[in-house]
Amino acid sequence: MKNKLMHLSNETMNIGFVKKVEALSGSSVRRCFQCGKCSAGCPMSTFMEHPPNRVVRLLQLGQGQRILAGRSIWYCASCETCTTRCPNKVDLAAIMDALRKLSWDADGPSKESYVQLANRLFIENIRTYGRQYELRLGAAFNMKSGQFLKDLMLGPKLISKGKLKMFHSKNKNIAEIEGIFKRIEEMRKKGEAL
Amino acid sequence: MTPGKKRLSYSYYPGCSLHASGREYDISTRALFKALNVGLKEVPDWFCCGATPAHNVDELLSLSLCAKNLSLAEEVEGDLAVACAACFSRLKTTQHHLKEDDTKRKQVEVAIDGPAALNKPVKHILEILAREFGLAKLEESVKKPLMGLKVAPYYGCLLTRPPEVPELDDCEDPSIMEDVLRALGAEPVKWSHRMECCGANFTLSRPGVVLKLSNAILESARIAGADCIMVACPLCHGNLDIRQKEIKEAYGAPDSTLFGNIFGSELHGGSAPDQRDIPIFYVTQLAALAMGVASESLGFESVITDPKPLLRDKQLL
Repeated sequence: MKNKLMHLSNETMNIGFVKKVEALSGSSVRRCFQCGKCSAGCPMSTFMEHPPNRVVRLLQLGQGQRILAGRSIWYCASCETCTTRCPNKVDLAAIMDALRKLSWDADGPSKESYVQLANRLFIENIRTYGRQYELRLGAAFNMKSGQFLKDLMLGPKLISKGKLKMFHSKNKNIAEIEGIFKRIEEMRKKGEAL
Repeated sequence: MTPGKKRLSYSYYPGCSLHASGREYDISTRALFKALNVGLKEVPDWFCCGATPAHNVDELLSLSLCAKNLSLAEEVEGDLAVACAACFSRLKTTQHHLKEDDTKRKQVEVAIDGPAALNKPVKHILEILAREFGLAKLEESVKKPLMGLKVAPYYGCLLTRPPEVPELDDCEDPSIMEDVLRALGAEPVKWSHRMECCGANFTLSRPGVVLKLSNAILESARIAGADCIMVACPLCHGNLDIRQKEIKEAYGAPDSTLFGNIFGSELHGGSAPDQRDIPIFYVTQLAALAMGVASESLGFESVITDPKPLLRDKQLL
């Protein structure tokens, strides 16, 4: 894809998508003049097929689908180095959040499934328990990703060190968390929130 | 709250890690505050702040969870003390965003079914030690100076970034950790990786990322001649401490890194590569140790890369 000519036209550019990204992130993508400082400081760019500055360039060209099809957004560590160093106040970390949300809402067309799985289990844990239950998080990740042996030796060690609790009790005010999830879902159904 | 006139006292949001994998951070924070005679009262029934996974895919959920926690914190007197860098960052980000953006604030208020309480100052433990308790008083309170201990102060990502949000220190060249270390009698080393990412929550989904990034951090600390690294985040601690053995197995000699390739032979003078264990301390463990708190009550038994040989060597145990 990288070396193929990109034909830009009304048919190949999805400007509506870019507007959504700008609305969700509260940051302009047009302000970027491609200095590349974000990618220079990015600790994760070696794992990405599109480094941060190219993600913004693709957005400028209305090529959101190319970003979502890859794994770059899921390999962003949210370290905020890009946002900190941008000389033109492009909030790239927020743009990455917005892109992940749009990919997430579209049920993840991305190639990167492990990070999405970890995020889903983490959020499920909050809804079920109120706080993180780390043992369940790790065990569920291994079961659902099919990596049954991942960190297998680490679990018992952490339990013996008191770092992983075998049992975890729910918050007694857990109903309030369910209320937050429900009300956000309702707002979105009614179109009152993105 | 003038120190000396009125006893400092804080409400406290430990966060999920401090009740589990980062338990020694919680234990040592409580021990330190007790030793300094500073009040610390945990917010009852707090929830997870949502951390990175929530804001990664659902900003409104992330803001709502933090706003809920901030309103729970209103029930306890005193500014909100936070130890975990990620919780600290999320709570500060929420206050920052919701003060600036009315639309988001209204949505959050619908979600949490109540007003967003945004005015309680949220303070990181480092800030409390260096600015509110004060460096001079901290230095005076030291009973057992950490003489001869060379420490690499590791800030990681979220204590200082993005600018304007954490309000803790300069976002590219902070000094608060170095200041605290000097007050404790330790020697902060200059090193290259104090603000680089450790791989954060990829420890669950893509541990290979953590091995690569955390290896670079450990390597940099060794090259700078540090005995240990000081952190203020349970996730950084987990990656650098729990995965340290695995990192060694994966990367072996430092010459397999870019650093090693370029500078390795000169730095090591052709001698055996530096493979020292680098114990990882929480800022509160080092501070409490300097205050004369017994090492048995600092949670060292929970740490994987054993710090005791180093502390014995420096006659700090």
